[in-house]
Order: sequence, then C-alpha cells, then structure tokens
Amino acid sequence: MSSEEALAIIVSLAAAALLAVVAVGQGLVPVASTDLTPLARFYLLNVYNGSSQLWGASPEVITSILWDYRGLDTVYETAVFFLAIIATLTLFRDAKLLPETAGSGRGMTVIVKTVTRITFVTIPIIAASIALHGHLTPGGGFQGGAAFGVAPLLLITAFSLRLAAERGWSKGKLLTVRTAGLLAIGLIAVSTPYIIAALGGKAGIGYVMQNQPKAWAEVGWPYAIAYAGMRVLFSGTLLFLNLAELFAVSAGLALVFTVIAMPTEVLEKGGGVKK
Amino acid sequence: MMEAATLLWIYFYSVLLVTVFLSLYGVYRRPNVLKKIIMLSIFGDAANVLAVLMGFRKNAASPPVYPGQTYTEWSAPNSTQLQQFASAAVDPVPQVLVVTAIVIGLAVLIFLSAAAILLYRHYGTLDVRLIRQKIIEGGVEE
Repeated sequence: MSSEEALAIIVSLAAAALLAVVAVGQGLVPVASTDLTPLARFYLLNVYNGSSQLWGASPEVITSILWDYRGLDTVYETAVFFLAIIATLTLFRDAKLLPETAGSGRGMTVIVKTVTRITFVTIPIIAASIALHGHLTPGGGFQGGAAFGVAPLLLITAFSLRLAAERGWSKGKLLTVRTAGLLAIGLIAVSTPYIIAALGGKAGIGYVMQNQPKAWAEVGWPYAIAYAGMRVLFSGTLLFLNLAELFAVSAGLALVFTVIAMPTEVLEKGGGVKK
Repeated sequence: MMEAATLLWIYFYSVLLVTVFLSLYGVYRRPNVLKKIIMLSIFGDAANVLAVLMGFRKNAASPPVYPGQTYTEWSAPNSTQLQQFASAAVDPVPQVLVVTAIVIGLAVLIFLSAAAILLYRHYGTLDVRLIRQKIIEGGVEE
C-alpha cells in the first residue's frame, strides 16, 4: 500500500464520519423515531388480532410475515438459494466423493480435534433448538440450517474430508436429504386443498399455502394438539415448514462445503465419474 | 450540547459507514479475488445491520414477539394489549428484509466461492493483475 493510498483511505474514513454527523444532525437518517411506518403498524396489529380479516394466526410477527403474508417471496428466495447450490454442483460435476478422491486425511492437531468432538455434538442441538422454536422466537428453519452447516464444515477442516468419505458421506445421500426437505416444503405448502379432498370435499374451504383454520376458511393445519394431558403448540404448518427447511438447508450447505473442500487435482482431472 | 443518545447514533452510523467504505475499498483495490469476496460479504452484512438499525425506535426496544407465549400456552390479546404491544415493539419489516437478504447473500457467496475455485483452476492464480496479464498475452496453455 503506497502512502498516497493510505492518505486516500484516511480521508475517506474521515469523510464517512463527517457524513454520519451531518446526516444525523440534519435528520436525514432515521434516528430512533417514535412512530412506526404504516406497514409495520399493520403487521404488528394484525398478526395477533383474531377478529381481523388479515389475522396471521401465528405467534411471531417475523415468521408470520415470512410464511403467511409474503409466502411466495420466501418460496422464491429459497429457490434462489437452491439454484446457487445446483449451480455449484454443476460446476464440479466431474468429481465424486470417494475415500481415494478425498485427499490425505491428515487433519489438524489433537487439541483442535478434541474440541471439535465436543462442538460437533452441541452445534446440531443448538440448530435444532433454533429451528424448533422458529414459530415462537426469532430464528427458524434457515437460521437453524445455517447453524447446523457449521458442524460438517468443522468436521471437514479439523478432521478431514477423507474421514467423512470413509464414514459414508456421499454427494448423492446429501442431495437426497436436501431434495426430500424441499419436496416436504412444497407438499406442506399446497396440502390444505388435498386435506379437503381427502375428507370428502364437505369439510369446508381451504386455500393453497393456508396456515391455520380461520373463520372464513375452516380447513387447515391445527394450531395446537393436545395429547395425554400435554398441549403442544406448533401453529399450523410453521413448525413443519421450519423442520423441512432445516433439513434442506443443512444438507445443501454440507453438500457445498464437501464439494468446495475436495482436492484441487481431483476437481481438475475429475474423479470417480464415468465419462 | 447534544444528547448522549444522538452521539450514540452518530457513532453507530459512522462505524457502519466506515465499514461500508472500507469494504468497498477492498472490493475495488485488493487484487486477490478471495479478498474481494470476503469484502463483498462484509459489505452485505454492514448493509443488513444498517437496515435493522433503521427499524429501531425510541423507548421501544422489545422484539416483535408478543410476550407470554410458551410451547404450550398462548392467550389471544385484546385490542388494548395489541396497541400497547405495537407501541413497544421495534419495526419488523427491516428484520424480514434482512432475513431474505441473508439468504440471497449466502447464495451469492456460495456461487462466488465456486467460481473462484474455477478461476484458480483455469489460470493458476487468484491475482486479478496476473489473470489480466495472462489474458492479454493470449490465453492459457491447455
């Protein structure tokens, strides 16, 4: 870095600070306003309001906006993520994960390996907790899946990709889990009309991507179930969508980490795939 | 004399702006493709933090989750409780946008990492200056 470049950086940093002072001082940026935007007020008031026509019927506003109000947005956003994974797989389609194509298998030091043995168990527990509470607290299937994805990454870096390959990981298995999760999301989203059809068509009205029974559409996944004195709240489809998303995202991330971690010469020459 | 809260807001905004400028500098000036990708993801995260910060409200810091729900218990709030809740919760819309942006950012990051590996495979380097030189010299020997 030359001295001119360093000077340019310092000047632009000072300009950034000055810009912040001016922007806050002149009221150009929101500084903890006390009022809500109309859209935010609409969501906050309607999600919990059972007498409203636009009742969200789920116990958390952000999950409700994501899956109930803007469900199609979320579906396409998930589609973008999985298209990226498919694109990555296509770029590396010549390399197959086998013990002989998975590198040396040396791994890192004993200290790192011991710590990884502990965290490899705790990370999936935290991920499951995030995903299973997705309809009650901030977080959800994608966040849980992204947390889960750290566990295979740790295994690959601390131990080796070869260990994973020897324990039976393969691109096909991970792809199967990912596809099953995606299929489950799709089937749950369109399930309500099929439930009506299964009940003989007399049960009432239900819509595609409907979450819970409402006063104007009586069919839907139940809000909670009571069994043997215990009442478990799962707010319609939300818990199952979160679970399916957890499986799909964690398997997809593990797939990408596996592919990216493969040795360069295997990626260059291709390994294990019949031409 | 400015309030302490205003000073804090100036601090927040300037830290975020500095992060944004530094990451843009990294994307523009660092020759290594991997460092460009890292800086791009830092840029995206700074933008996300900025969005969540804009949803924050004065004297209303609770998350947009109606309090008092557990896995087994839930009671429907009446309209007074709802108004009270809406006056105490932060803006949920930026948070929803950030959730979407994180997913898209991760997708872009995954694809860029794969593309960087391919770039290295093709040119044998991740330095954009060397890659440019190789392109000018007439491609790579197969």
